[in-house]
Amino acid sequence: MTLSEFYSSLGESLDEVLERLRLESRIVKYLGLFLSDPSFNELKDAFAKNDAQTAFRAAHTLKGVAANLGLNKLSASSSELTEDLRPCAFTANSQALLEKVETDYNAAVEGIKALQ
Amino acid sequence: MEERRPLILIVDDVAMNRALLSDILSDKYNIIEAQNGNEALMLLREKTSEIALVLLDMVMPEKDGMEVLAIMNKNGWISEIPVIMISGETAHSLVEGAYTLGVTDFIGRPFDEMVLKNRVNNTIRLYKKQKNLSNLVLNQIYEKTRNNSMMVTMLSHIVEFRNGESGMHVLHINTITEMLLRELLRRSRKYNISKNDIGIICTASSMHDIGKITIPDEILNKPGKLTPEEFNIMKGHTINCAQMLNAVPVGKDEPLMKYAYEICRWHHERWDGKGYPDGLKGDEIPIAAQIVSIADVYDALTSERCYKHAFTHEKALEMIHNNECGVFNPLLIECLDAIADKLVISLQTFDWSKQADKDFFYIADAMMNDQKHPIYNQMFRQFIDERKKSHFFESILDGMLFEYSYTPGVMKLSSKAAKKLGLPRTIIDENKPNEKSQENAATENLEKIKKILRRHTVPKDKPSLIKQTFNIDGKSIPCNVKVLQIWTKGQNEVPMLTSVYGHIHVLQ
Repeated sequence: MTLSEFYSSLGESLDEVLERLRLESRIVKYLGLFLSDPSFNELKDAFAKNDAQTAFRAAHTLKGVAANLGLNKLSASSSELTEDLRPCAFTANSQALLEKVETDYNAAVEGIKALQ
Repeated sequence: MEERRPLILIVDDVAMNRALLSDILSDKYNIIEAQNGNEALMLLREKTSEIALVLLDMVMPEKDGMEVLAIMNKNGWISEIPVIMISGETAHSLVEGAYTLGVTDFIGRPFDEMVLKNRVNNTIRLYKKQKNLSNLVLNQIYEKTRNNSMMVTMLSHIVEFRNGESGMHVLHINTITEMLLRELLRRSRKYNISKNDIGIICTASSMHDIGKITIPDEILNKPGKLTPEEFNIMKGHTINCAQMLNAVPVGKDEPLMKYAYEICRWHHERWDGKGYPDGLKGDEIPIAAQIVSIADVYDALTSERCYKHAFTHEKALEMIHNNECGVFNPLLIECLDAIADKLVISLQTFDWSKQADKDFFYIADAMMNDQKHPIYNQMFRQFIDERKKSHFFESILDGMLFEYSYTPGVMKLSSKAAKKLGLPRTIIDENKPNEKSQENAATENLEKIKKILRRHTVPKDKPSLIKQTFNIDGKSIPCNVKVLQIWTKGQNEVPMLTSVYGHIHVLQ
């Protein structure tokens, strides 16, 4: 799968990312690093431990990282979760929002793995 | 010389984010990274004057971006180091909060590489320009203050030279006036003087006797008691000085002129109205003149003059208390008593080479604490700290130290070195040594130091060790002298020796 195909498969646009980050090699490098970024696991852990503050921070980080890499769906779902958790307490919606983030995250991760 | 690449501090808890920013910026900038707010603050403290820009994330564990900003505000760093916040944060109130805390710019995620680079470039360029300007101003102020202070010292020495006095009198008055003023400010708010006036009053105090240039030599330096007519002429130095100052065409409304006038005219007035020239009473006498008059009397009593020997510190205090030299403001006598012990030490360890720096510290202090236009300049603060530090170390390092600068040829000795070697603390090359102090031991020791200074060497950065005997307490004592030479390293020029620092270690 090419980089362009990868973005298309997620319903995103390579051109948009390329305009911001300039180099394809740079994008590939940071997509690779994204796989080892701990934010998503921290988010899951925080939910398991009922730690809303850490969950908020992890969701916030994920939102920013995803946005920079043009993973806009993941960024949007993370953003929703971030706003939900901003008062640093879980709500009735939190779990459903997390599941949405997880779906988007897994889609992105599978795609990146297929790139390599 | 190639210009140093500006240093950027990237603060983000996410390794990937730091790497990406560093990737984009490292072709033009040097980068250091911090993983959280605490690390960032540590680096900021360590490299305050080096860091050209901070890229700050907002949401982080262990002190977030807002807390970092709050501390940068508290320490005054925010005025010198620009901060660009980079965050995915969109909450309006938080972004506004960041601006309120002084961030220069806010870049949202996802960011555009080109926009980021340009904002970083512009911000650094702008701040650099501002910093260069403020350095320029401060350097000039430093030079000017030193020159001003030297000028006043020179002029007042010229006046005293005619009296056959050492010139130490003016410097003593300066020290005593300062200490009395500080004590007075601590004790009372009665007089309308602020901390910023201290430096000005001290400078003005140097002028207190300039009126004496109008007094004929025969009267000024008469060894015996003056006749009533002669004393009347002598008293005229107060009025004469006031007239001279009135004739100065500039500075009529300047505080320095006002204080100089008050001090010159009224430093012989007394609290009970029995002084001269105007017979002012109590607080009719301006406070600056009151302070200088008591400082003048104390120093006159404790110094040797052509018509009297020197009294001890204790005797002088006693005489002042007993109104033997006229009556003084009781509040000022209280102040004098309070500073008495410190005063003896200060006068004994007085070092005129620090005088110029002292004046500068006053101005620097006033500028940095100016409510309306505070000056923030980290380099400048560090410079002041360095000067203070070296003064401090010199004062506690009880060693025999000397330093020599080549243009002009001036040697300075630490108080211990001066004492042991029998030499004055400052020796200027062209000066013929004072006949009185030209004892054999002193001349011999000076020659030995000069021999060390004349040694031909090649430029090197390490100190060298020289064995040399010195005449101490009439005995020839073997010593090790550690000498460090400072060379200028101009481009395409022959290196020149600018100064030498030495430490004399007595071998037991």
